[in-house]
Amino acid sequence: MSNPLADMEKPDVIFAIGTNMTECHPVAATRLKRALTDGATMVVVDPRKTRLAKMAHLHLPIRVGSDVALLLAMAHVIQRDGLIDESFIAERTADSEAFLSHIQQFTPEWAAEICEVPAEDIERAGKLYGRGNPSAIYYTLGITEHICGVDNVQSLCNLALMTGNLGLEGGGINPMRGQNNIQGAGDCGAVPANFPGFQPCDNPDNAAKFAKLYGRDSIDAERGITKVTALNEAGKSIHAMLIDGENTVVTDPDKNHCEHALKSLDHLVVIDIFLTETGQLADVVLPATAWGETDGVQANTERRVQRLRKAVEPWGEAKPDWWIVSEIAKRMGTPGFEYESAKDVFNELCELSPIYAGLDWDRIDEGKYHWPVPDKEHPGTPRLHEGEFKNGMKGLFKVIGYRDPAEVISDDFPLWLTTGRRLEAYHSRTQTGRSAGIEYLLSHESLEVHPDDADSLGLVHGGMAKMASARGEIEIQVKVTDKSPKGTVFTSFSFANVPVNILTGSGYDPVTQTAELKVCPVKVTPVA
Amino acid sequence: MTEHRSDLAEQKLSTLTLDGELVEFTKGETIYEIANRHRKEVPTLCYDERLEAFGACRLCVVEVEGIRNPVASCTTAATDGMVIKTSTEAIEKHRKTLLELVASENRNVDVNALSGYSSQEMTILVDRYSARTGRFSGKQSGTSNTGDKNPFILRDYDNCISCYRCVRVCAEREGDYAINVMNRGFHTQIITEFNNDLRDSNCTFCGQCVQTCPTGALGDKKALRDADTEGEIKKTRTICPYCGVGCSVDMLSKGDKIVGIQPAMDGPANEGALCIKGQYAFDFIQNDDRLAKPLVRREDGELHECEWDEALDRAAEGFKKVKDQYGRHAVYGIASGRAPHEAAYTMQKYIRATYGTNYIDNCSRS
Amino acid sequence: MPSESNQALIERWKDEPAPLLPLLHAFHNRDGYLSDDAIKAVSEGLRIPLAELFGTVTFYHHFSREAPGKAAPRVCTGNICCLHGGDELLESLKDKGATPMPCAGRCDDMIPVIIGDKAYVGLAKDSLEHRATPVPAPNPGGSSECLFAHIREEGRNTLPGYRATGGYSALEKTLKDSTPEALIELITDSKLAGRGGAGFPTGVKWKAVADAPGDPKAIVCNADEGEPGCFKDRAIMDHDPFAVIEGMTLASFATGAPLGFIYLRYEYPETERLLEDAIEDARASGLIGENILGSGHTFHLYVRRGAGAYICGEEGSLLNSLEGKHPFPRNKPPFPVTHGYNDKPTAVNNVETLASVPHIVENGAEWYRDLGEGDHAGTKLISLSGDIQRPGNYEVPIGLPLSTLLYEWAGGPKEGRTVQAVTMAGLSGGFIAGEDLDITLDEPSIRSKGSFLGAGGIMVFDDSRDMVKAAHDAMNFFAHESCGKCFPCRIGTQRMTERLGGEANTLEPSAWIAEIEDIGSTMMSTSACGLGMAAPHVTKSLMKYFPEQVEAFLAKG
Repeated sequence: MSNPLADMEKPDVIFAIGTNMTECHPVAATRLKRALTDGATMVVVDPRKTRLAKMAHLHLPIRVGSDVALLLAMAHVIQRDGLIDESFIAERTADSEAFLSHIQQFTPEWAAEICEVPAEDIERAGKLYGRGNPSAIYYTLGITEHICGVDNVQSLCNLALMTGNLGLEGGGINPMRGQNNIQGAGDCGAVPANFPGFQPCDNPDNAAKFAKLYGRDSIDAERGITKVTALNEAGKSIHAMLIDGENTVVTDPDKNHCEHALKSLDHLVVIDIFLTETGQLADVVLPATAWGETDGVQANTERRVQRLRKAVEPWGEAKPDWWIVSEIAKRMGTPGFEYESAKDVFNELCELSPIYAGLDWDRIDEGKYHWPVPDKEHPGTPRLHEGEFKNGMKGLFKVIGYRDPAEVISDDFPLWLTTGRRLEAYHSRTQTGRSAGIEYLLSHESLEVHPDDADSLGLVHGGMAKMASARGEIEIQVKVTDKSPKGTVFTSFSFANVPVNILTGSGYDPVTQTAELKVCPVKVTPVA
Repeated sequence: MTEHRSDLAEQKLSTLTLDGELVEFTKGETIYEIANRHRKEVPTLCYDERLEAFGACRLCVVEVEGIRNPVASCTTAATDGMVIKTSTEAIEKHRKTLLELVASENRNVDVNALSGYSSQEMTILVDRYSARTGRFSGKQSGTSNTGDKNPFILRDYDNCISCYRCVRVCAEREGDYAINVMNRGFHTQIITEFNNDLRDSNCTFCGQCVQTCPTGALGDKKALRDADTEGEIKKTRTICPYCGVGCSVDMLSKGDKIVGIQPAMDGPANEGALCIKGQYAFDFIQNDDRLAKPLVRREDGELHECEWDEALDRAAEGFKKVKDQYGRHAVYGIASGRAPHEAAYTMQKYIRATYGTNYIDNCSRS
Repeated sequence: MPSESNQALIERWKDEPAPLLPLLHAFHNRDGYLSDDAIKAVSEGLRIPLAELFGTVTFYHHFSREAPGKAAPRVCTGNICCLHGGDELLESLKDKGATPMPCAGRCDDMIPVIIGDKAYVGLAKDSLEHRATPVPAPNPGGSSECLFAHIREEGRNTLPGYRATGGYSALEKTLKDSTPEALIELITDSKLAGRGGAGFPTGVKWKAVADAPGDPKAIVCNADEGEPGCFKDRAIMDHDPFAVIEGMTLASFATGAPLGFIYLRYEYPETERLLEDAIEDARASGLIGENILGSGHTFHLYVRRGAGAYICGEEGSLLNSLEGKHPFPRNKPPFPVTHGYNDKPTAVNNVETLASVPHIVENGAEWYRDLGEGDHAGTKLISLSGDIQRPGNYEVPIGLPLSTLLYEWAGGPKEGRTVQAVTMAGLSGGFIAGEDLDITLDEPSIRSKGSFLGAGGIMVFDDSRDMVKAAHDAMNFFAHESCGKCFPCRIGTQRMTERLGGEANTLEPSAWIAEIEDIGSTMMSTSACGLGMAAPHVTKSLMKYFPEQVEAFLAKG
């Protein structure tokens, strides 16, 4: 997030797109609700009538995967109505001319055709966002899990840049991170493109620096392959994997492909707290400590670095992840893994990461720092881009066009399937599914189907249906509701007995290789 | 600029007399906030600093010179020159009477501390004021809802004192407006719409109502499973393991048993808020499905429990073999977005330091 | 006529000012009760959270949640009606689904029974009759009147009749020749003060509203005459409604408020119709609405009917009720003069106060001041009821001896009886008895006896009455009407009622008395609003004047 969570109580206009926040980030959503109580106006873009959508002043139930078209038309309205921030554009951005002339062709009427919402609602959304003082953007995986995920994000950036809604209290562009420490995984360099602290791998100086620090002659001065590529390469160029705490088989798209990939490895080591579906394919499974059993650090969606603390002794012989990885490394003869505590590990990270340079184990005790914290005197950075962008750079406009999803509905697969999460379940339910009481509220998976679709397809509430995509088919119980719009069905991927990710995986963003989990044409038929 | 300075000067000039002592305050502060800052221990039952002051319990009344009746300090903004007494004989007598009255409407004064974060507030005050006198006995207010079988929130309204903290936290903090108050006077009763079960209401089971309840009328059913478990309650401050918001919580344990979760009221990301997952979904930790020992795949093709050394040796051997056979670009690491920094850091270091590649990623792409 | 759809009703009201109460009434009228479906529709239509709306609906005594609902008789079992067979009448109507209601404000013409939107009166089931509110009797003391000066004149409650008897000349004169500042000065000079009981100087209140920032400002007429034993506002509204409307219009001119509400208690159904018609007639004649009498001044006035809650006479509760919120009192400060309706500056004035205004404008400040006895300014309406020869509304010069009113004006107690006690301020002032009856009707005199005049309801109890029972009934009323927000009142009124009802007679008398005293003292000192502060006057005065009756009551065990 560019702005701290506390800023979520302060926008004038809230533009929430592709985020089911009350279910996926409920505590963050409480802040938006408070902003609403204080008079903020909210626009929600989501195909479904989510709780957030019901609270909105304007809800745009766009067709899944049509975000870019909507955002182009909003930009069009903002420019047409003179709502752009001329001085911000002049002082802090570049490449605005091409963008501003590009958007002139994308009228609300044009977008209305693609998005399947009225042009006047698109007009209103553009005007509201353009006039908000400030306006804040919130998004989650409904933006990124598309083949055009990067285009979607960039389109949001264009909106914020043209209206100067960056570096402002209560404004900004705010992706909500889905997992407790997904931010931290990136911070720590567990990505193919960056060393710890987002120091690019393809910079030879960085590669040389880390080679030296890690006691090697060299480290490749080029990006590694992504997980998606690695799975595609399994059994071809990739022959061993070490997977920590991820149930890849259930949560990744195209389950059958993924299972096949892992099976074709020579060697698979999985570290986890349960014997997951992924662990069952491993050669070695190593039991890790769970929450409350070990000390550690995690960073939240607002880049706040906070301490986890051990409350009880670990289950059985479970060990902290860092200990397990270090023991493997030592056995591989790799130097530099003589850690005695989580504190040792974290302090090493701080020494190597410019954004953590001002931090150490003791200083983050109260969790009051947002990175970047470049030195020990620095108070931390709750709000990014204030006054200037990083290193005085310009905010770049990007010229983007609309593209259809990887697969579109057809006679064979006439419905859009979009997937997501539910309040009571987390991911593949390895945790929530084992917590007493949750089943009282959410006992099984279901497919949300609009009443009109249910009628025409002969589906009944509570009955079973077969849902098929180009990759496979599953059976699922039907829930007839107008929460999903006509022509679109919804389910989550949380229940292993309804492996919806058998169906998904139609395409990947060419830049990030994020899977298009939010769009998948399907066919749904009743099961007698 | 000059104007700005005079503003500051004016602000600085705001003073009042608090129990004989001249103290400064900023405009907008209430008497209670100022008294609290000066550690006056003014008692309250309906006050939760996260909520708008409500003025129901009247325990926080103080004497203000020139005002005939005592005023509720929580709802009264301080004004310049006020002369305030937070504790006089008359005030203390009223407080004791109020506590005797409120104790008289409940089934019991003592509740298990696992009921919730604030559950001991009334007990502590009743004892501080020696108000277990049994005076003012009469009908009990509130009717416990025993029909609501939800597994999270106990609705024991026989112990409800109608402070409306639950109603207010649900509205003001959580924004769910799931509960409210039915009827009036002594017959007030906390309810959902049409007095149904919580499951059939707007309730999201975030547990905020439970944690602000000062009497344990609303109780944490999950924590109360361990009401009779031996041992002191230990609280360990940590961060919720679910989404990216990073809510601070206190993990409650008795011995080595995790018994419950309470929100950290001073948690910087959540300021006391939690959701159903953070509040109630912790049983996975001490669960029989947990891996207790390492597993290795043996000749029979099955996974078998083994000692750590064997497992780690097997893990390392496999990697060595692949590296030797296919080269250093044949090994890939996937770190977790769920595990702490130390896991991700050592994972990437393991790959980079062992193989000299950047063949490391995490699960943010799923 | 086919009944209107949910959507039609919502469309009719949702963009009106203060829409919740009229919308709920619309559903209540349509169905006879408020169904789950109706509450859901209103919740959605007005965007009020369902649980909150449900809670608010249950707060009001008169909203039914099931059939026969509105059609079932509601029988007054108020303090005076009960002395005259209210409970028995209720019992006799039980087969029709009758339910009790607290004092319905017709103690001079008993016993009121509301069926649908009609108020009947009668002492027995067979003698129920639908008839108009009694017109005040001619002033027995021959003293000069303000409010009642023209009320007895034929046709006074019609616009032509009102104008024929001098009505609206005050407004015409003011709009033509005066300024808001001058009007406020005139009212301040007259020493008119809040006649609902608080006694706050009206001119000062108006000036505060006029000076406060924020728009639109509002004038709210408090016509929620809920105090038991008070029925004066009803007489004014039924027989001189234009005086109230003209007074409000003058108040709106003084304060710059373009918006006004009359918040009328549920128990006066015919009055609602009458006020609505009067406002419509005034609007048709350009006396209300846009550009009144060509002056450029605008004032829109709406009637909003309550639904049975005494606390809604408390101005904070009243404003919350108007706004569609749960009708708890508000914490003060801030006061309504700066943060009233929709948090905008608002003058909340009683019916009697507002109805006095045209007369004061017409006759001058000095004239009004001189109506009082001695140093006291103006007049006060007294609703006199109970064990007295001629109950009714009397306009007395402030400072009139109580004995003059009781014995000379109202004919004294019933044959063969003596006055044992009177209440003050309806019930809120508790009892006055014995030598203390030698008082004059003004606040200083009455307050010297530990009571207050308040809204001017006086109930008479003769020597045949059980004063512990009278105190119990009074406290029972307060317990029934306690809103439930603040602890001392919510629990205190309950515990007092239990004790006065003999439910705690196992206590030693000294312990019983100590409990009553401690509860009373804490309620008076710490309650959040006037209800809880005033209720202990009942027990305090009971123990002061009737210790032997209390002793005998406790001795019964």
